Amino acid sequence: MFVLLRQLRSIRRAAQLERGSDGRWLGIRHVDAGSCNGCEHELGLITNPLHDIQRFGIDVVASPRHADILLITGPITTRMAEPLRIAYEAMPTPRIVAALGNCALGCNVLGDPGEMIGSVEQVLPVDIRIPGCPPTPEEIASHLLEALGARSGPPSAGGQGTSAHRDRAEASAATGSSD
Amino acid sequence: MSTAELVSPERWQATVAEALQSGGRFAGGWATADGGWHVAISAGAETRVLVCRAPERRVDSIVEIVGAAVWDEREAHDLYGLEFDGHQPMRALVAHPQELDAWVTPVRGGGVHQVAVGPIHAGVIESGHFRFHCVGDRILAMDPRLFYKHRGLERAAEGLEPEVALAHAARACAACAVANTVAYAHAVEEARGLWPSPELRRQRTVLLELERVYNHLNDIGAVCAGVGYATGSMEFSALKDRAQELCREAFGHRFLFGTVAIGRGDAILDQSQAELLRRRLRELRAETAAAWRELEFAASMQIRLEGVGILGHDRALALGAVGPAARAAGVAIDARAGNPRLACAGLEPASIPNATGDVAARVRIRVVELDTTWDLLDELLAAPLEAATTTSRGASSEIGTGHVESPRGETVCAVEISGGRIARMHLRSASYASWPALADATAGNLLPDFPLINKSFELCYACVDR
Repeated sequence: MFVLLRQLRSIRRAAQLERGSDGRWLGIRHVDAGSCNGCEHELGLITNPLHDIQRFGIDVVASPRHADILLITGPITTRMAEPLRIAYEAMPTPRIVAALGNCALGCNVLGDPGEMIGSVEQVLPVDIRIPGCPPTPEEIASHLLEALGARSGPPSAGGQGTSAHRDRAEASAATGSSD
Repeated sequence: MSTAELVSPERWQATVAEALQSGGRFAGGWATADGGWHVAISAGAETRVLVCRAPERRVDSIVEIVGAAVWDEREAHDLYGLEFDGHQPMRALVAHPQELDAWVTPVRGGGVHQVAVGPIHAGVIESGHFRFHCVGDRILAMDPRLFYKHRGLERAAEGLEPEVALAHAARACAACAVANTVAYAHAVEEARGLWPSPELRRQRTVLLELERVYNHLNDIGAVCAGVGYATGSMEFSALKDRAQELCREAFGHRFLFGTVAIGRGDAILDQSQAELLRRRLRELRAETAAAWRELEFAASMQIRLEGVGILGHDRALALGAVGPAARAAGVAIDARAGNPRLACAGLEPASIPNATGDVAARVRIRVVELDTTWDLLDELLAAPLEAATTTSRGASSEIGTGHVESPRGETVCAVEISGGRIARMHLRSASYASWPALADATAGNLLPDFPLINKSFELCYACVDR
């Protein structure tokens, strides 16, 4: 155990990620809506010691009730459309929707069109787009950190997708309407 | 070599039984749109494809002869409308009917309750549903309901040129992408009468073993996570991550996408690149060995693995389990052994002294297999990998099969080619073969141990759902 702990300490913070903001928190609920499992493998690595995304206040949560971001992978099969909708409805507002991977973005999707609904955008309003087949853990982490920065920091010049979300989220919070 | 044989409906059961009695192994069944029902029986490097043209889409079931065919018949029923006489009850597999009776094992008795889990799970996990029948915390039976991610990849491949359809085999599953595409390439090459050069065999074996490295590292870490042993889980997650980085550095992609083609191989490494990869793999091996030693002596973890989720030798055989799950139960099968299309034909299936078929055995067998894989890679990377081709050998035919040992066991791909295009592509992944065994191994265990049992098999959902 001590050898492992020593080894873990030595491999910490190997990834060159920009520092997020202190004191902020983003809970992710992942839904696999028809993925080939590539995005899941890479997403699962953002919490390992090479990336350690938790140090920035981002973590995967077990329930959509505790989530800020709904992170969706896959081309949305007909059978996953309803579970996905239920997960989205279960989230508190304001809520952020992230499409992870090319399939979720509707790019180069393979399969029988009759078995699929289409990209995430055709089902839910998308705030964050993370392209790649699959995107690497570092790319996923960077997009999430950008979202975290845009969420409560001053408006950034680059993050048009997430700042647009913030406006929308604030508007819906102000009027009490649901997304 | 695959040969198709038309069998009369009257002789169907007897022919299948004879093929199995003479040493053949069931290697999958698939239907075609015209109502044809195909069953592959492999014996060594030979594969017999038995074909039955079922009148009015009815054919005698073979599940009493070969238990491994249960899911294949259920799938053919749901997707192609075949009826199997003697397969009673015919439960839905790919189809998702509302009524529980249509797909769940009936369990009756005092105090029995059901627990429904999924399709969405609490972590970063693929989608699938599990229906547990429990008394208290004790599981009596479990029915998996997969195919939430059914994308119709096989159907979408039909009518395409084999080179184009390769992407559909690759998309079935990222973690088995090399195994699935090599199996597909072997099938197409066999149908075209092509034989891989020694260089191509070596190249593909390197890719397959690299895929095994990162998957086995992942799967050992997953078991650590299953018992909440965070240090082990984090360490092996980092090792797996680095193994994937080696794949990217050497071949441009962390999952080795795009490295397999039909009839040729372009995954090349010059002398210095091969030597670098070899050296980095040796470093990774040393660190893996050190990390495993820690796990081996972590009593608080090891004690949680013993006697949990037992898949016994006889059940593994009866249900047709493959890969580490079968070998951990003492079933000596490995599609690499004697496969003339790859560069590891002399390999013997891995074995462990105490093949108890529990979670502990499934972890230990992976550790043993990793050693073989490191050795194999070290040997294969002693020389540069050069561009490789195939040569004509034997006549072309309309049907071909490929058999590859993925990290999870034997994956079989069958193709039928008509007019130069894919008429039917069927991918029977190792996960597909072993899911019924996982469900079986769950019975009798405690409900909170299911995640651990599930992770010790670490089967893909995407490979199955296609």
